[in-house]
Amino acid sequence: MNGVIFTETLRRSWKQIVWWGGSMAVLGFYIAVVVPTMDTLKQYADLMASMPTAVFKLLGVNDAAAIATPEGFISFSYFGYALLILAVWAVWAGMNITANEEDEGILDVVLALPVPRWRVVVEKFAAYALIAVGIALISLPGLVLGLNNSALKISTPKLVASTVNLIPGLLLMLALTAFVGAWARRKSTALAVTSTIIVASYFADFIGRNGSGLLNDVLRALSFFSYYDSMGVMTNGLNGGNVLLLLLVAALLVVGSVWCFQRRDVGV
Amino acid sequence: MTANTAVIQIEQLSKTYQRSRKEQVDALKGLNLTIQQGEIFGYLGPNGAGKTTTIRLLLDLIRPTTGRALLFGEDARANSVALHRRIGFLPGELNLWKGYTGQQVLDYVGKLRGGVDAAYVRQLVDRLQFDPTLKVRTYSSGNKRKLGLVLALMNRADLLIMDEPTGGLDPLMQQIFNELMLDVKAEGRTVFLSSHVLSEVQAICDRVGILRGGELKAVESVSNLMHADFQWVTLHFREPVAANALAQVVGVSEVQALPDGLRLRLVGDFDPLLRALAPYYVTGMVTEEPTLEEVFLTYYSGTSGKEATR
Repeated sequence: MNGVIFTETLRRSWKQIVWWGGSMAVLGFYIAVVVPTMDTLKQYADLMASMPTAVFKLLGVNDAAAIATPEGFISFSYFGYALLILAVWAVWAGMNITANEEDEGILDVVLALPVPRWRVVVEKFAAYALIAVGIALISLPGLVLGLNNSALKISTPKLVASTVNLIPGLLLMLALTAFVGAWARRKSTALAVTSTIIVASYFADFIGRNGSGLLNDVLRALSFFSYYDSMGVMTNGLNGGNVLLLLLVAALLVVGSVWCFQRRDVGV
Repeated sequence: MTANTAVIQIEQLSKTYQRSRKEQVDALKGLNLTIQQGEIFGYLGPNGAGKTTTIRLLLDLIRPTTGRALLFGEDARANSVALHRRIGFLPGELNLWKGYTGQQVLDYVGKLRGGVDAAYVRQLVDRLQFDPTLKVRTYSSGNKRKLGLVLALMNRADLLIMDEPTGGLDPLMQQIFNELMLDVKAEGRTVFLSSHVLSEVQAICDRVGILRGGELKAVESVSNLMHADFQWVTLHFREPVAANALAQVVGVSEVQALPDGLRLRLVGDFDPLLRALAPYYVTGMVTEEPTLEEVFLTYYSGTSGKEATR
């Protein structure tokens, strides 16, 4: 790895940190300041509780009382959706690893140079992984600033842990998109398959959480969103096992991307 | 490497694409071809003949169904990365990063290659009169072609592989391209170029191979082919002229009557035809180059039983 592709990808895409990280920071700030007093939070929780159970579960709330706490509210209203919002970026970035350039015919030029295929995948993944970390970290100050101007009080370590908890999920989605892009030859196929998996995973976690029994347990086990577990991290801190599992699957997907990409025809 | 060393050696190379579950397409069928060091080899054929497939196999962008290709004596697939250091490539359709300037593309590709002589790149840019300050998306097809040529030539490669290299270039630039290729040849380097333009091939190639339907139909030296050269001549007259009036003229054959004239095939000099036209009032005359297919058919029909040299 001589780092040329890594450096070039960073040079070309570093602004994503500002745009995506900045946008998430603004969203976090807004969600924090929108609650002027703790009483507002209680009214909000009461509103949720007054809804039919199915409706508030549809919104991703297990326990209406839980969102009456600052931690519960921020977990639900910000971190609960942050990974899903950032999935858009992860898919975009993952498509840039091989699928977009292959679809545009640019990979023909690159791979006719003394550049092994694995280097394209690994260096681009590394660059986007760094950008993912940047996006997550840049998003944090908005939330901290917002909470400082709100009735909600949450300790900074909890916010840091919840923000860091975004990274393994982001890397997994990035790696998943890279893998599907390396496996499928068509960009549209890669996009459709990846989006379907992510959305299905989100709903599998959602359905699994809102019921009991073996089927629900299986659904949750299959969904990477359940290992993200924003509410659990906000309450108990980072779950090392979950983090490692997500990172391991991401690493396996990167290895799988290289394997698929090495073996097949390019640009046909 | 000494002269007469095979730079490209293709053995029984085939490629079949699976279009759907039921449909397969044989893009290349059992290709055998050897190209020596210092040659400029023209690889000719209509669209869909298998030219680009061959090039993509040589570059290990796609994998053969059967057979193999050796470049500089090494397997094009197993040693692709090391071999690519010695190859300059110009794709038929050059797609690049649209938001980059020409200079950014040159810098990036130069870094990926490593060891590129910046002064030589500037020299190429000047010679091709290319403006590298503009964004790729603003370049005309001719300017994109120039950028592609600089990218292919920047590392003084031992082997240049070019897919339809002059498409979009104006006549002046085509002349500069020809000069560049002859310079490459003079330095003992090798060029493998695909084309469907006969005049381009005539101007610079030593040998040509014609591909049709995925099969190599013939390989021949350009000088031999030129003996089979002919032209189509269309004549327009003020008064009707019978087709048989010119049928006996030296070099004339296949005379066809048109509403206001005649169309004929002419081999050799124009003089006998022009003398035969003296009694008639000619209002117009148009000559057309024969297609490559016609040239090859003429050549091989005149040398029946002769096998293609490979």
